[in-house]
Amino acid sequence: MSPRSLTRRSMILTETVNGLTPILLLFSVFVTFRGHNAPGGGFAGGLVMGAAVILRYLASGPSGIRSLRIDPIVLIGSGLLLAVGVGVTSVAAGESFLESAIWKFDVPLIGDVKLVSSSLFDIGVHVLVVGVVMAILVAFVEADDEVARIEDAGQSPRPAPGGQQDDPQDDAQEAGQP
Amino acid sequence: MIALLLAHLVASLACLAPGRRAARWALPVAAVVPAATFGWLVSQAPSVLDGDTLTASLRWVPPLALSVDLRLDGFGLLMGLLVSGIGVLVLLYSTAYFGRRDDLGRLAGLLVGFAGAMLGIVWADGLLTLFVFWELTSVTSFLLIGFDDRSATARAAAVRAFLVTGAGGLSLLAGLIILGQVAGVTTISELVVDPPSGTLVSVALVLVLLGAFTKSAQFPFHFWLPGAMAAPTPVSAYLHSATMVKAGLVVVARFAPGFAPEGPWRALVVAAGLAARVVGGVRAMRQQDAKLALAHGTVSQLGFLMVLLGLGTPATTYAGVAMLLAHALFKASLFLSVGVVDHETGTRDMRRLRGLSRALPVVAASVVVAAASMAALPPTFGFVAKEKALDGLLELDIGGLGTIALLGIVAGSVLTVAYTIRIAVGLLGDDAPGVHTADEAAAEPVDPAAVHRPSMGFVAAPALLAGLSLVFGLAAGAVGGWLAEATASLDPATAEKYLKLWPGVNEALAISTGIILAGVAVWWGARRPTRTINAARSQATVIYDRIYDGLLSGARRVTAATQSGSLPFYLGVVLSTVAAALVAAFVTGALDSITDLVWADSALEVTATVLTALLSVAVVLVRQRFTAAVLLGGSGYLLAIVYLLQGAPDLAITQFLVETLTIVVFLLALARLPRRFQPGPAWAPRTVRIAISAVVGVTVAVFALSASGSRTEPSVGDDYVELSEKEAGGRNVVNVILVDFRGFDTVGEITVLAVAGAGVVNLVRSARRQQRLKQLPDGTELEEDAGRPTGVWR
Repeated sequence: MSPRSLTRRSMILTETVNGLTPILLLFSVFVTFRGHNAPGGGFAGGLVMGAAVILRYLASGPSGIRSLRIDPIVLIGSGLLLAVGVGVTSVAAGESFLESAIWKFDVPLIGDVKLVSSSLFDIGVHVLVVGVVMAILVAFVEADDEVARIEDAGQSPRPAPGGQQDDPQDDAQEAGQP
Repeated sequence: MIALLLAHLVASLACLAPGRRAARWALPVAAVVPAATFGWLVSQAPSVLDGDTLTASLRWVPPLALSVDLRLDGFGLLMGLLVSGIGVLVLLYSTAYFGRRDDLGRLAGLLVGFAGAMLGIVWADGLLTLFVFWELTSVTSFLLIGFDDRSATARAAAVRAFLVTGAGGLSLLAGLIILGQVAGVTTISELVVDPPSGTLVSVALVLVLLGAFTKSAQFPFHFWLPGAMAAPTPVSAYLHSATMVKAGLVVVARFAPGFAPEGPWRALVVAAGLAARVVGGVRAMRQQDAKLALAHGTVSQLGFLMVLLGLGTPATTYAGVAMLLAHALFKASLFLSVGVVDHETGTRDMRRLRGLSRALPVVAASVVVAAASMAALPPTFGFVAKEKALDGLLELDIGGLGTIALLGIVAGSVLTVAYTIRIAVGLLGDDAPGVHTADEAAAEPVDPAAVHRPSMGFVAAPALLAGLSLVFGLAAGAVGGWLAEATASLDPATAEKYLKLWPGVNEALAISTGIILAGVAVWWGARRPTRTINAARSQATVIYDRIYDGLLSGARRVTAATQSGSLPFYLGVVLSTVAAALVAAFVTGALDSITDLVWADSALEVTATVLTALLSVAVVLVRQRFTAAVLLGGSGYLLAIVYLLQGAPDLAITQFLVETLTIVVFLLALARLPRRFQPGPAWAPRTVRIAISAVVGVTVAVFALSASGSRTEPSVGDDYVELSEKEAGGRNVVNVILVDFRGFDTVGEITVLAVAGAGVVNLVRSARRQQRLKQLPDGTELEEDAGRPTGVWR
């Protein structure tokens, strides 16, 4: 997916992604918290959010990722810090590592709210997984940059990467005739 | 004691933290901590000399029985006083020596950190505590030798010293562990009370001695010490004369009374010590640089001390401790004096120094007194200690070894007298006989009138240490009494020993007289040496360098042979290993446990499984990478369906999501790769690849079946299900296991994930940085780059 191919980007995809993104983000948070009592969890939730980020890259290219202005290293670090921090806090409180603490509140208008410390752990995992997905995207964004740099400099783009083959449909057609 | 060691650590970090902003005040302020240590030790001295011991213990890793065990006994007190006292003097002296530099904070921090580590060694009682502090001195000494980090010589010397002492440290660790295991104890004091014996103990003692030899620069590891003179002179004076090189002696002194008769201990100690004694003496005769001459002299003296302390009889141990004190005083004084000379005249070359006795009278007096102590002339403390040492060696009744030790020490002492005269005359004398060489014309003499006058504070440290050498000699009786009480902690039998300034005419005095006369004769005979030896190119250094280079090139060859960079090769090796391990497991009878095989639970499951298998086969057959990626994804989705059918929705969800993201990432990557698969490597034809794949597939499948049937204990799953809601407040037991019951595993997994992610980002960024560096000479490229919105990904 070189920058040249990004100039003929599909408007349908872009608009679809724009509409889908908020839903995906909300859904990813839902999956993470749902994991407490039903299938889901921080890892799955993080992957859903990562999918949203990848969709944004497919729709808007490197600039779509760069405009997020988030450093994946920061995400990875803060996720790990949160997860380990929850575990260490329970040790500091005299329990074993990652022993769950449960708090129950009665919030007006909403009703009973139950908070479990392991949810924080799940949030940490979630953030970390998003960071790792973004870290993988960094490699692609950098590669795009390099192609763009070479093209800007007035040289011909490198022969092997990207140039010849950016449209997956070509391959799909060829795949039918192995 | 622990508080004092922590104070050293804190002071060290406090001096290091401001970086280049730390001003000159760092050195005197840092001296407060050793000064406080010195004061505390003095306050403890009366009770410790009465035979009391102070202990302190800090639990560190209780499950490993690892704790910081400290013990202050008489010997620890003496060494502690030396380390902290000389430390204070060196720090104050450095203030005058360095003047204004912007890296003094680093120097002060490293020196104080080193002092703390050294105190840890002399106070250590725990075997592992000793090792930890031992390594700390190696690390700090590495940084101090390489303090002048813009000099390639200094860096090379630092690496050499670190590798030699570091290797010795590993040897020491192995020895200490064996001793601790054999005796079933964790502290030195318990170990020497009831020393174990046997072949294993002999091996352990050889390892311990190897460690001590490297640290104390004994033959054949002596070569790093002259190289370490690349450090600034105050550092050399502190580390490489008075303290760090004594670490090996401390260990030997603590072990010798209990272990000296054991195995090859005495033979090794005498051989290494005497070799260092003689080699150091001969080399000291051939140096033109006063500091290097002192360094070789230090090797020689350390050999002497090693023999005395290592022999382990009460008389030699006592004499060894006295000699150790004498050596610390006179050698530190001489080094510091040479530092003053260097600072004020700009050279340490003895061929160029003239008339310093008039230009630098205080320094000259210090040099004369300290040199007299080094040459063991009465009435200095060096003389008193040397007499005692000769007495002790004469008393030995350990057969021929004792005679050899005595003869070697006498020969070394003759050389000591000769090189001491040479250094003293070279530094102070007007025409300096004995240091002239053929290329005299090249060495322009220093004009005594132009010598800068040092401040009183600058010369105070060498003068004080030299003065102590004299005062201790005059007050030999009192000092001897304290030393006897201090040494009793090493070997109770030494409590009866004493020192005398004038023990009367006896055998030792006769030998001493002979040594001095012979020494003068040797100096006179060798005063015009035909050639000088460059310290950096000694034979041992050449051998070391060859071993070092050989190791590096060997490692490169091994890496080139095993790390080909070929992915098929790596996969082939990994998969073949897996297959071999599993086949081995089956051969030894793991297959028997396959029982109650259930082929399928439902028709849907059969369909999904068969489709998965078909897609997998198709992946291998297609030629386009894109098609293969899609087919692989399809088999992954079908696998998720199988999970779902087996009642694992969490697993199925994760599998679906991972599969989706994997395919997308695959496709993104494939857009940058050639469309078709490349032909396989020549060394692995199709048949070989198919064979490896088939064996791995079959063995892994069989392994999975037999593993699920080989349960011997009831599953913990039932407990988890029961406890899930009660203990962790969650109804999804899978998630509760992940975040609570087995949360530690999850932390490990996400750490791996984090490292992998961070690794990807850093690889990409470092590649780009390198590209920028390449483009730097070309200005246009940089300008273009500056216009790009790269801020986020930098």
